[in-house]
Amino acid sequence: MPGSPTALLDELTLGRAVELESLVDRGALREMAESAHQLFGASLRIFSQAGGLLADASSQPRLYALLDQGQAGRTALSAVVSGVKSVEPEPEHPAEVGCVTGARYLVASISYDSHALGRLILGPYREPGAAPSGSLRELGLDMAQVPGAWAELPELSDQEAHRVVRHLSAVLDLILFSGHKALLTSNMHLASVQESYRELADKNAKLQHAFDRLKELDRLKSNFLGTVSHELRTPLTSIIGYSEMLREGIAGEISAEQKEFVQTIHAKGEQLLELIKGLLDLSKLESGTMSLRKSEIDVVPVVQDVAQTLAPAARKKGVEIRVVSETGLPTVWADAERVRQVLLNLSENALKFTPTEGSVTLTVRASMIERRADEDGRGLVLFSTKRPAIEIRVVDTGIGVPDGEKEKVFDAFYQVDGSATREHEGTGLGLSIVRRLVDAHDGTVRVEDNTPTGAVFVVTIPCRRTTIA
Amino acid sequence: MQLDFSARELTIKLVYYGPALSGKTTNLHSLHRAADQGIVGRLMTLETRDDRTLFFDLLPFTFRDKGGLSVRLKVFTVPGQVIHASTRRLVLQGADGIAFIADSQVAETENNATAFVDLKENLKTYGLTLKQIPLIIQFNKRDLAAVRSDEEIAALAAQGREPVYLAVATRGDGVVESFIGLLYLTWSALDAEHDLNRKFGFDSTAFLESVAKKLGHDGPLSDVLAACVGGALEVLRPEAE
Repeated sequence: MPGSPTALLDELTLGRAVELESLVDRGALREMAESAHQLFGASLRIFSQAGGLLADASSQPRLYALLDQGQAGRTALSAVVSGVKSVEPEPEHPAEVGCVTGARYLVASISYDSHALGRLILGPYREPGAAPSGSLRELGLDMAQVPGAWAELPELSDQEAHRVVRHLSAVLDLILFSGHKALLTSNMHLASVQESYRELADKNAKLQHAFDRLKELDRLKSNFLGTVSHELRTPLTSIIGYSEMLREGIAGEISAEQKEFVQTIHAKGEQLLELIKGLLDLSKLESGTMSLRKSEIDVVPVVQDVAQTLAPAARKKGVEIRVVSETGLPTVWADAERVRQVLLNLSENALKFTPTEGSVTLTVRASMIERRADEDGRGLVLFSTKRPAIEIRVVDTGIGVPDGEKEKVFDAFYQVDGSATREHEGTGLGLSIVRRLVDAHDGTVRVEDNTPTGAVFVVTIPCRRTTIA
Repeated sequence: MQLDFSARELTIKLVYYGPALSGKTTNLHSLHRAADQGIVGRLMTLETRDDRTLFFDLLPFTFRDKGGLSVRLKVFTVPGQVIHASTRRLVLQGADGIAFIADSQVAETENNATAFVDLKENLKTYGLTLKQIPLIIQFNKRDLAAVRSDEEIAALAAQGREPVYLAVATRGDGVVESFIGLLYLTWSALDAEHDLNRKFGFDSTAFLESVAKKLGHDGPLSDVLAACVGGALEVLRPEAE
């Protein structure tokens, strides 16, 4: 982006683009030169690197005015001027240049950040004890006037002249530094404002685009889910309804064997309905269209509610169900309804696999959750390893989960006992929905063994709303 | 990097990034103090009245190689405060290497992490990932109480990819080591990409040793580089992308 503030910043900070003229104010430079001229007596001129005269604090000494009157003198003077101009002094090492009059000039390089930006010329001045050059007579000067005019030249020893130039260079360096700083500040300011504007405009455009897309997606999703659920559920409702009516004998008496068949049709219909609901949930979770209504929630009432919901079924089966929780637990950032779904699913499972006289225990306690590593492990060292979380354990005394199956149970449609004659019913979707719901809360879920028998499903949900990784 | 062939001049941009008040500017002050006057320029700080960096700090170094190449290092800091997001992005532009200055205090851990994510996001706007840019991490303020332990940092650093340094920038401890580590990674990556050593008859090790010497560390380069506590001084190579 040439010409943009950022490109200019690069040039100002990295490149060679800085010019003396752009760093200092000409008027201020002239004032500085004037005051130096008044202080030290000698004339002072400041040139840019390109040769432009930026400041000229000089008065023509009478000796030079005399010289200027004759042709030969004028020629000699212009030779001096071009001689002085052609000198290329090293930084920090001003060059002394002698003049046809016997006076001297001192030429110093003005550099900033090790780049030459221009030149500073002090003189003419005469050294103490020095005499005018004998060649003045050859240039046709009235020698009677020379001693007087020579004496009017400012007197400076070479040492003094060097000191003056060093001082002026230091002052100039400070001025250049301040000028550079001011230039950078104003450009940076401008660039920052432009960058902020660009960012906002960019974000607005993206938001608008995302909004439009979401609206469209939302419409499509609603259509699809509506269609699927309607198309699948409508016939199923009829199947369930009519089989129920048949079973109840509304269409006339049926034999015990017929009743058993109808009962099976009804039960399988209900099972299929559950499966469809599960699939819809799963598809929403997978497509990311399941909207979580997260808020600061207290987990304990949710757990108690789940236990109460399952209490009748547990009583019927002769299984004890209880809740153990710590007091003063922090809240978690979660969707209460989905947390309930997770716990209900796990508790129903626990109940299903726990035999009579067994127990299902839901414990809630404060815990920590490990931060998951970034995609490439970079910057890991900067993050705290753990953050506060709430851990909910669903402990049963059932058949447990074999070691090799502990991860697989979370796969969709996976059953530990996959045989057609398996003892326990189920779609195999429950735990995969649990895993996805917990993931959507940035939490973790795992299975452990209960001793002497049974399984423990451990759900951990972070307390803090902010996620860094 | 800017390369001016006619002037045989190479300019490298190094950026000190990190959360607010982690000691980025202090690092630059320390470097400035440690440096031989012949190589370092004036430290320019564009700061507000309360000594917080407003736009950036800039510390220029110039090294002249025997072969006539002059290497200019421009070390920048970004403003750490959250509100200066766009300024940070501007300063980051064109960086050849990044030193991430983290605050060792346990209470600052989240701020470090947030700033690191911010760095990642800002690099992304320039089409870069952390894999593509030389990076070191410095844990500053090791002298304070309630800091993350050496063991914790070493254990995490061993898992990470980038070299990690411990420092007390106010005293100058670890500052030069971090800088040389960053310069080593940056120079090596630039050399791998542009073949600088061959083009300019340049000797990287001698150059880095001379820089370390001018910053008060006399001795072999390997001694200075050994100061890092974890990760690897792994040189980025273009073909690795």
